[in-house]
This record gives sequence, C-alpha cells and structure tokens, in this order.
Amino acid sequence: MHVSVFSPASPQATELLWLWNVCMWVCGFILAAVTLPILYIVVRYRRHGENEPPQIAGNKRLEIVWTIIPLALVGFLFVLSIRTARAVDHHVSREPDVVVTGHQWWWEVAYPAANAITANEIHLPVGRDMLIGIEAADVIHDFWVPRLGRKIDAIPGRRNFVWIRAEQPGDYEGACAEYCGAQHAWMRFRVVAQLPAAYDSWLTAQAAAAITPASGDAKLGQTRFGELTCANCHNIRGINKQKQYGPDLTHIASRKMLAAERLENTPGNLKNWLRQPNIIKPNCEMPDLKLSDGDLTVLTALLESLK
Amino acid sequence: MSDVPITPGLLDADFPAPSESRWLEWVATVDHKRIGILYLVTTLFFFCLGGIEALLIRVQLAWPGNSFLSPEMYNQIFTMHGTTMVFLVVVPLLLGLANYLTPLMIGASDMALPRLNAFSFWVFLFGGVLLYFSFVSGHAPSAGWFSYAPLSEKGFSTRYGLDYWALALLGIGVGTIATAINLIVTIVNLRTEGLTIRRLPLFVWMVFVNSFLIIFALPALNASLVMLLIDRQLNAHFFTQLGGGSPILWQHYFWSFGHPEVYIMVLPAFGIISEVIPVFSRKPIFGYGFVAASTVAIALLSIGVWAHHMFAVGLGHAWDYAFGASSLLIAVPTGVKVFNWIATMWGGSIRFTTSMLFAIAFLFTFTIGGLSGVTFATVPIDWQVTDSYYVVAHMHYVLFGGTLFGVMAGIYYWFPKMSGRLLSERWGAVHFWLMFIGFHLTFFIQHFLGLDGMPRRVYTYPDHPGWAMMNLTSTIGAFVIGISVLVLLTNIVVSLRGGEPAGDNPWNAWTLEWATTSPPPEHNFDAVPPVHGPRPLWDLAHPQGERA
Amino acid sequence: MKRFDTAKLAMSVFIASEAVFFAFLIAAYVYYYGAVVQGPRASNSLDPPRTLIFTVCLLSSSATLWRAERHLAAAHNRAFRLWLGATILLGALFIFGQALEYTGLIAKSITPARNLFGATFFTLTGFHGLHVLCGLISLSVVLVLAFMRSFGPREISGLGAVSMYWHFVDAVWIVIFSLVYVTVWI
Repeated sequence: MHVSVFSPASPQATELLWLWNVCMWVCGFILAAVTLPILYIVVRYRRHGENEPPQIAGNKRLEIVWTIIPLALVGFLFVLSIRTARAVDHHVSREPDVVVTGHQWWWEVAYPAANAITANEIHLPVGRDMLIGIEAADVIHDFWVPRLGRKIDAIPGRRNFVWIRAEQPGDYEGACAEYCGAQHAWMRFRVVAQLPAAYDSWLTAQAAAAITPASGDAKLGQTRFGELTCANCHNIRGINKQKQYGPDLTHIASRKMLAAERLENTPGNLKNWLRQPNIIKPNCEMPDLKLSDGDLTVLTALLESLK
Repeated sequence: MSDVPITPGLLDADFPAPSESRWLEWVATVDHKRIGILYLVTTLFFFCLGGIEALLIRVQLAWPGNSFLSPEMYNQIFTMHGTTMVFLVVVPLLLGLANYLTPLMIGASDMALPRLNAFSFWVFLFGGVLLYFSFVSGHAPSAGWFSYAPLSEKGFSTRYGLDYWALALLGIGVGTIATAINLIVTIVNLRTEGLTIRRLPLFVWMVFVNSFLIIFALPALNASLVMLLIDRQLNAHFFTQLGGGSPILWQHYFWSFGHPEVYIMVLPAFGIISEVIPVFSRKPIFGYGFVAASTVAIALLSIGVWAHHMFAVGLGHAWDYAFGASSLLIAVPTGVKVFNWIATMWGGSIRFTTSMLFAIAFLFTFTIGGLSGVTFATVPIDWQVTDSYYVVAHMHYVLFGGTLFGVMAGIYYWFPKMSGRLLSERWGAVHFWLMFIGFHLTFFIQHFLGLDGMPRRVYTYPDHPGWAMMNLTSTIGAFVIGISVLVLLTNIVVSLRGGEPAGDNPWNAWTLEWATTSPPPEHNFDAVPPVHGPRPLWDLAHPQGERA
Repeated sequence: MKRFDTAKLAMSVFIASEAVFFAFLIAAYVYYYGAVVQGPRASNSLDPPRTLIFTVCLLSSSATLWRAERHLAAAHNRAFRLWLGATILLGALFIFGQALEYTGLIAKSITPARNLFGATFFTLTGFHGLHVLCGLISLSVVLVLAFMRSFGPREISGLGAVSMYWHFVDAVWIVIFSLVYVTVWI
C-alpha cells in the first residue's frame, strides 16, 4: 500500500505535489547551473605546467546578475507558496467533523456530532471536505497522511486543524511525525475513505453501544473484563462507562489493525497482544497482566464479538 | 624538496623542550596550536563515537522489524548521535581549526587570551564526558538532540539522561562562547601591521563573523537549558502545558539558538573552501567583497529564520509566510557564494589534490543540500516533508556533505602545516572516493524514503514496497563511509610518523601561515612578512606583477 | 599591534553575550506575565519599597566603584581601597536584601514550582543575583590584590574590565527592577 507524497488522493495533496514539481524544476535548473560548469572546469582547466593563469579577481556585473536571478527565483517560489498555502489550508469557521487526539502511542478518534469514539482508524466520506481537529493528550505528536494532505502537530492544550477531501475510496496510511517517545515508530494510523452511504452506516454502527454478548466465551470474557483491571483503562460503551486512558474498544473487531498499525487484527494476533503487549510494543502503556490461557481465550472472544 | 630541512614533527622527541613530561605539556598548555590540536584530536574521537552511533542506527534500520536494538536503546542512540555530532564534533572541530589558524593567519604569536583558550577546551571536554557519563548513569538522554517539551520534561523523561544533557550542553556552551570572545579580541587586536579588515583571509573573516553569531546564539541556548533544568529539578512549568506553560515556547527559544547554530556550523567551512579553492586554482577568490558581504548577510538573516523549524506547529499563516520569506531570502547569499567559488576555478589551473577534491565535492553536495533547504522554505512543501527522512537527508547533505567535506579539505590542506608532513595523496584519493560514494549512497536515497512517507526518529518501519531496499542501501553506504574514515585515520597516523616532509609552503599558498615553518615554532613567526594585500606571499613573489 | 584594551574588549563581548542571556529570561517573564491571573503574582507578593532600598545600595555601588577607579588613576591607593571596599559592602547588602526577599517568599510557599510568576521571577532575579555574586567575588579578588601589591597598567586594565561587568550587572537590575517591581508599584 503506497504511502507516498507522489500518489496524491486529495485536492490538498495534489496541490502540494504540484508545488513540489515546480520547485523541482527551479532546483534542477540551479543544480545544473552549478554542476555543468564544474564538470566543464574539471576537464578544461586541469593544471598544465607551472604558469599561473590570469589573476581575475571579480566581475561586479556578473555577481549582480547571479544574485538577481536567484532572488527572482526565490521570490517566484514565495508567491507560489502563498497560493498553495491558501488552497490547502483554508480558513476554519466551523466545528470539526472529526477530532483526533494523539496519545502516547495511539490515536483517539472522535466524531462529536455522532457521538462516536474509536481509535487508530479514521473513516471519511469520499468527495466531502472534512475538517479534522488535531489535539494531544500528553506530548507533542504530529498527524501525517502523505497521500491526503499536509502534516500538522498535535500539541497539548491547543487544537490544530487540517482539511482533507478524499477523492477515491481506499485505505490511506498515516503516521505520527513528531518524535514522541519510546513507541513513536508504531504510532501509525489509517484513514479509510468510503462512499458516503458506506460511511454513514459505519458511523452509525460506531456510535451505537456494544451489543453485550449473549453466551459462551464472549460472555465469560465480559465478566473477566470487569474483574481484571481492563475496565480501568478501556471503555466498552454499553458495558462500562469510564473515562478512558487507553483506546476505546466498543467496536474493536471492526478495525483492520491493532496497536496503531502494529499488527493485523486477527484473533491470533489479538490473543498474542493481550498475552504480551510489552514484547510486541516495548514500553507501551499497556502492562503485561500475566493473563492465564483461559482468560486470554475468553477476553479474545469478547473483543472479537465487538464488531 | 630534497634540500628542504626537515622541521621537527609533532611526534619528534625534540619538539618542543625534551625536559618536561610530554603529557603534562599537553594538559597545561596555553599555546593556541597545542589547544587547536587538542580540539582536533578530541573531536575526531567524538566523531568516531558519533559515527559508531550512526552505524548502530543504520544496522537497526537495515531491514524492517529488526530487533538489533531495543526501542529504548535506539532512542538513546539517535539522541546521542545528533547531540554528539552537533555539539561535540562539528562546532568544536571548526573552532579548533580556527584556534590553530587564526593567530597564524593574522601574523600573531598566540590568541589574545591564552588561558581562557585553555579553559574553553577543558570545559568543552568536561561537557562531553558529562554527556557520555549519562550512559553509565543508566539512561542516556532520549528526547532527540533538540529535546522538545513536554517529552523532555520530568513527567515524560523520568531518568536523569536529560539533566546530563542540559548540564553538558551548558558547559559546552560556556566554552564555545569563551572561544568566540577570544577569537573576536584576537582578530580585532592582534592583526599584524598592514593587515586591514578588508585584507583578512576569508577563513579568518568567516570565523570573525561566526564568532558574533555564537555570541548571540549560545546564550539563547543557555537560557533555554536553565529553564528546562528549573522545570525538571525545581518543578517549574516553563514548558509544561499542565502548569500553564507553553511547550511551543521551548521551540521558539531553542530554535532561536538552533538556527544560528547551523550557520555557526557552516560559515567556517565556507571559509576553508574560500582558502582551498583559490590556492588549487592558482587564482584569487572571485569577488572577495561579495563573499565577505554575503557572510554578514547570512549571519544577520540567520537570526530571523528560526520559526521555519516550526511550520508544522500551526502558528498561523502570518508566521508561516514571514519565516518562509526570510528563509527563502537567506538562500540567496548562501547560494551566490557557490557561484563565486566556481568563478574562482574558471580559467584557473586546477590541481586535484585531495583537499581540492573535497572542496569540489563540497560545491556539488552542499548545493544539493541547500536546494532541499529551498524546498523546505517553500512552506507548503515543508508541510509534507518536514520530520521525515527527507529532512534527515537535507541536514546531512549540508552538515556532512557541506561542513564535513569542507573540514576534510581543510585537514588535507593544513595537516602539513600542523605536523610538518604531508598526508598521502594516494590514500587521500581512496578516502575521498569512498567517502563521496558512501555519503551519496547513504543519504541521497533518504530523500525518497521521506517523500514516500517514512517519518524520522523511528526505530523500525512497516514493510512497505521499496522501504527495505532503500534502507538497506543507506546502511551499506554508511559502512562505506565508516571504511573511508578508517582510511583517513590510518593516513593520519602513518603520515605523522613517516610522511613526506612538507616544508614551509607545500601548496605554494599565499596567506601568512605559510610564511613560517611546518610546524611553526612556539612563537609562530621569526619574522612576519609585510602585508599590502590579501595575498601577502603572492605579492612577495610577484613584486611588479599583478596585485591580488 | 593592539588597537583596543584586551581586557575591556573581551569583557564587552562577554557582556553582549550576557545581555542576550538576560534578554531571553526577561522575555519569558514578560511572556508569562499575563498568564497568572490569580494566586501569588508580582502585584500581591512583592515589596517594592523595601526592594528600592536595596536597589539604591546596588546602584550606589556603581558610583563608589567609579570613585575608586578615579582614585586609583590619581594613585591615591588608600582611598582606592576604601572606595572599593565600600562597593563590595554595598553589593553585599544588595545580596542580603535578595536573600531576605527570597526567604520571605519561600515562607509563603511562593517558589518556582508554585506558578509561572514564581518560575519566571526566581529565574530572572536568581540569575541576576548569581551574577552579582560573581561580581562581588571578582571585586574581592581585586581588593585582596590591592593590599598585596601596587597596581600597574595590567591591574588597572583588569579592574577596568571588572568594573564594566559590575556596571552591566547594575544596568540589568535597573531593567529588572523597573519591569518586575515598578510596574506593579505605581
């Protein structure tokens, strides 16, 4: 799955790439203006004999020319940069559609209007300008989805914004782009762009409380979830009501990945994660609870039922 | 060369007085030449430490999901790599060269304040030891070389690594400021008769301007560091949002130091290039006035660009446009110098010594680094590529491909003066090509990694198409660089013992340091030649001919 | 060829670097000034009139130092030592005043940890106090040397540099006193 700046999937990213391309032409021109003379000099002016060459010490006119031209080029880039900045980063005059909060080392994703909360996976409707509010709960993080738009810091105590309009359905990878401690490398996330109808049904499902399991291992898991300390950090709406310190688990089974893109969301991986989070993602905030095999089985069953 | 008397080399038992203990001499010295060499040897040592840290990083990143280093250890290593290279290698290396050369190039017998000079070195060394002691204390700093708050605060960095970091940098900062004071006073006061400011060798001029930049920038760092220490140790809230403080203030304060610092790290290298290229092109520098004036322009502008490190913070378009403009502007005086250096070579008679090879490589490589800098100054592009491997590529292109290549040119150029012996040109060429190829192999590909979405400061990465191959290539390049450094070190050690005697002026150069023996006597000059222009020795050799 | 007095030139450059250092500390004080709207802050925690007394001590010490230098230039060695001693005494009084102020604040649990006023106030005045202390030590060294030997051009030059430093420290205090105390007094 391509992450790159060179595969824009939004008008914002397209604008940024366009500016990059223009800049590359300018830089290429300057690099050529430097490299070609050097290559010529290296061949043409090799030392032959002991005679000293003419001691030319300067040429004011030439120096003025080669000052004015770069000045004009950077002036040109500056004007273009203003144009692109305004296209990408236009004025914010309403409440955000999504609020993303960076934590060490996961992303809290909230849809205020729908009252939905999830983690590490952001869904957006295709073809709509979405305003994303970016916050941080602890240290400075950075929200970056190269194919969809600019990066912007997540700063505690402050709300930043980024506009994104995904043009095509698909998954777009993002990453934290401000070093934020031990597991900065695995504070990744993804943006899932869906056709509006699919997005609406996803959002409705996410806003709904969890369906409490009726029977079997999942039901046992629900009991153990409350008895072990899981509920102290994690919220499952409909089962408990708790200020959360860790990712909301209400619909964890609907997500594609676990632990901020660290693992694919399969029952095997989930069980492994519960068994030894500190081995898979050393120094993460989730402790090794030394769960028994039985607990692991029922907890996994519970979580897998939370679609 | 055969009838040139062999002047005493650095390791000869007779030089200087055989009566005292050699170790005590070196520890107690206040002679700028000795102190300069102490700086050079010490920074070379720290360069090896920083280089090993780089190799460790590259081994860990050689393929995705590697577990060669734990995340915790990796984060300490990359922090120490950056801190070491910036504070313990590049700046003291340049100041060490400045220390050795400045009195010689202005016809003085020492720096104006020799004991302050010695103090500067020892407090720098103490800072370096303190920084590395943090490993022994159990945890080196791991918040990156610029320690953003609140990650750097007690709540998120509970171990003592950051306190060692702050204290070490305070010590090093004091030493740096002291050296800058010394250089300014020396250059103002101790120039020989006839050496007006407008006739200063460009290396000395750049060192002079650089020293003023240090006087502005390092105190800003010291203020930031004491505030961080007061936060950490006295529980204040300068930079923690929870107590009403502002993490962004740290960024403003740090980069008010940090940006001038990168120019502090490059201006003396520009000075080296401005000495080397004319001599090996057999022509004077093209446009002395322009080159000197552009240096002042860079220094002044560098104080007004700091927030270009903060374009992703969301300060608002006013900030972004203002600092984008100033950052684009500063590219101009930096860039035109490259044209001046090329014009110096044009029509010249080029001698491809190792020193000149590095100088030419500098022109090409630094230009690439400068141009990637221009892309950052074009603000919206920064919004994509900052904090990715693209910026890692940029900084190494300007600091390694720029400053360090310039330093290499300076080492091959001035080693004969310092030691009385020439470095092997044959092994120099091997060093050059290995380092040049290794450098571009390591860092060019990192531009693409960044553009492809790989953030910086990550201990591993997902197995995206191409990422493993690009990272492995970069790692291989790093080891090629490592081998080239071994070649250099071997060259230095072997040449010190048995290299070809250099004589006073092996390069037929024109500035005053070449008008004395190699190495110079303790008082530097038996007689300083008359100075009537920027190239005193040229004028002496061409009394009726073209004035420089 | 020496164009300027080495000691004084070096001290001027050093003073420039210290001015930058203080500028950043002052900027932090100003930046956070408006952030503290309740709890201990400048307007309700400081005693400007008492601090004025000690400020007068410090500023007078600049005058006494100037007099001391004049006497030295005229080779009135005993008068020189007397006025130099007076300078040190006045500077020590200022430090005593600072200590009084600090203990008073700490007793009311106003510390760097308390709030941003505490943090910025103690940092700014604390580093100023440290600089005064270093100045006092330097002046004391000069005084001891003055008793041990007669002063020639080298010593006079050194004293000139120390004196520049002392005047600078006083000038910084004028800025701090105005900014921190006078603004909440009038």
